[in-house]
Amino acid sequence: MSSDEIATLASQLGATVVVGPKTTVLSVAPGSVADACKRVSGLPGWYHLSTITGIDLGQDIAILYHFWQGKRFLQVRTQVPKASPRLPSISSAVPAGTLYEAEVQDLLGVAFEGNPFLGKKVMLPDAYPPDAPPPLRKEADPHKIKKMMELG
Amino acid sequence: MSKGESKSEAGAGLMQYSTEGVMPFGPVHPSLKEPEYFKLFLEGEKIVKVEPRIGYVHRGIERAAQERTWIKNVYLFERICGICSFHHSLAYTEGVEALAPFEIPKRAKYLRELVAELERLHSHLLWLGLLGHWAGFDTLFMWIWKDREHILDLEEAISGNRVNKSYTTLGGVRNDIPDGLADRIRTEMGYIEKRVEYYRGLVLTEETLVVRTKGRGRITQETARKLCPVGPLLRCTGIARDVRSEDPYASYADVPPQVQTSQDGDIASLMTLRLNELTDSCRMVREVLDKMPAGPFKVNFPRSVPAGESTYHVEAPRGELFYFVKSAGGSTPERVKARPSTMSNILTATEMLKGHTLADVPVVLTGMDPCFGCMDRISVVDVDKSKEWTIGGEQLRQYGIDYYRRK
Repeated sequence: MSSDEIATLASQLGATVVVGPKTTVLSVAPGSVADACKRVSGLPGWYHLSTITGIDLGQDIAILYHFWQGKRFLQVRTQVPKASPRLPSISSAVPAGTLYEAEVQDLLGVAFEGNPFLGKKVMLPDAYPPDAPPPLRKEADPHKIKKMMELG
Repeated sequence: MSKGESKSEAGAGLMQYSTEGVMPFGPVHPSLKEPEYFKLFLEGEKIVKVEPRIGYVHRGIERAAQERTWIKNVYLFERICGICSFHHSLAYTEGVEALAPFEIPKRAKYLRELVAELERLHSHLLWLGLLGHWAGFDTLFMWIWKDREHILDLEEAISGNRVNKSYTTLGGVRNDIPDGLADRIRTEMGYIEKRVEYYRGLVLTEETLVVRTKGRGRITQETARKLCPVGPLLRCTGIARDVRSEDPYASYADVPPQVQTSQDGDIASLMTLRLNELTDSCRMVREVLDKMPAGPFKVNFPRSVPAGESTYHVEAPRGELFYFVKSAGGSTPERVKARPSTMSNILTATEMLKGHTLADVPVVLTGMDPCFGCMDRISVVDVDKSKEWTIGGEQLRQYGIDYYRRK
């Protein structure tokens, strides 16, 4: 994708752009994520969504959507506050994201509104304690969670 | 006995078994590597909806990695998968090395490609054998798994291990290949190529396999673009995407693959595709040995990795294997995300099953190459009668064999 195309896309989305040696990062507002992913996946050759990554940053959770073509990745990136981790789902615009969103929901507690797995466990065991924080959050203590599960 | 009678009799047999009670085999069982659970909704014999449930062996490796040093994680990540273990450690090490400001020796990159292609050979052979097993052709399974031993022996001779090879490490590989092994590898490649040609003649014409695979589990390019499957599942629809050629890693820029595709998008075309990839991997192994430069196979790697983010992927036997690595500059990673190939292929597998009969489930699911665990516990819901029952893996396999025997 040319730098002009990236600049056009960024201005349409109100996104900031960082071009790295291998990855171009488009940072967007949480509300624009579904639109951004739809536009990126509609670009010629950019239909492949490799996965979605969630990262606990302390106060916020960063969500990264990795698209791949040729030698480059295009990453749509956003941040949601840990206090209310909600995002619109991309599952209807980019169906390949359905299961990846479900994984981030289980492991970091982010709700993707509109995802068919919303509120359903996909990765975690049914017996995972409802009071325990999601396992990939920094405040989650694996030893405490293990004990809670043993006590039932 | 008419076809209709035999089908309903087989269905009644399953129901009867269910009322007597079934001991669930899996989804978690020591013999299974990658268990998944599929709930199938049936209208008569026809599958109308599939619900996947995964995570039965989710061991929290990404979380564990945040508390281990960079080097310890090489050996942690290769334990994600028992079949493509080397590709996990390869994607992780090259992902971490992308953050470090120095070059990895060229010989190490060639050695990595050598072991990666040997792993592809044994994984594809494993798949073809399992397809034979689930279709009721156990002789094929035994022949192929015997041939696969030749590859595992080579891997052991190179790394000291057959499964978790622990061969790649940060900064290169752990050891060079022993003297004289290159000649043995060349000889074995000749043997494997001959066997692949024999299997090609056998599996593409043998009636049992043709009936069970031709037109089964068909996916279109449109579905593939929508659900983003990876590896052979994508290439069997005619889309030529392969990380090895598009975004080369290890020494794939010097010794690239001839990207294989097939057109029909069904299980039979997956067989053709993987057989072609086996032949191509044999060629690549020989070419790697011929072109491998002399020199060191490892450089010292710092204990701390410079701060930054790295997005990396490799072409594992089942397709694109993705790693995301984030460093804060310390001796442990801030975050490592691993997305194995099967995770990308599950949604496509649910589409492949729709419209087929229960008897097709074993072969169609094996087609996606999920490691065999997924089939060992399947719930079936009869939409008309609102009844639900569970089928064990062996029972489902036998049901498929009997169904096609009567047909």
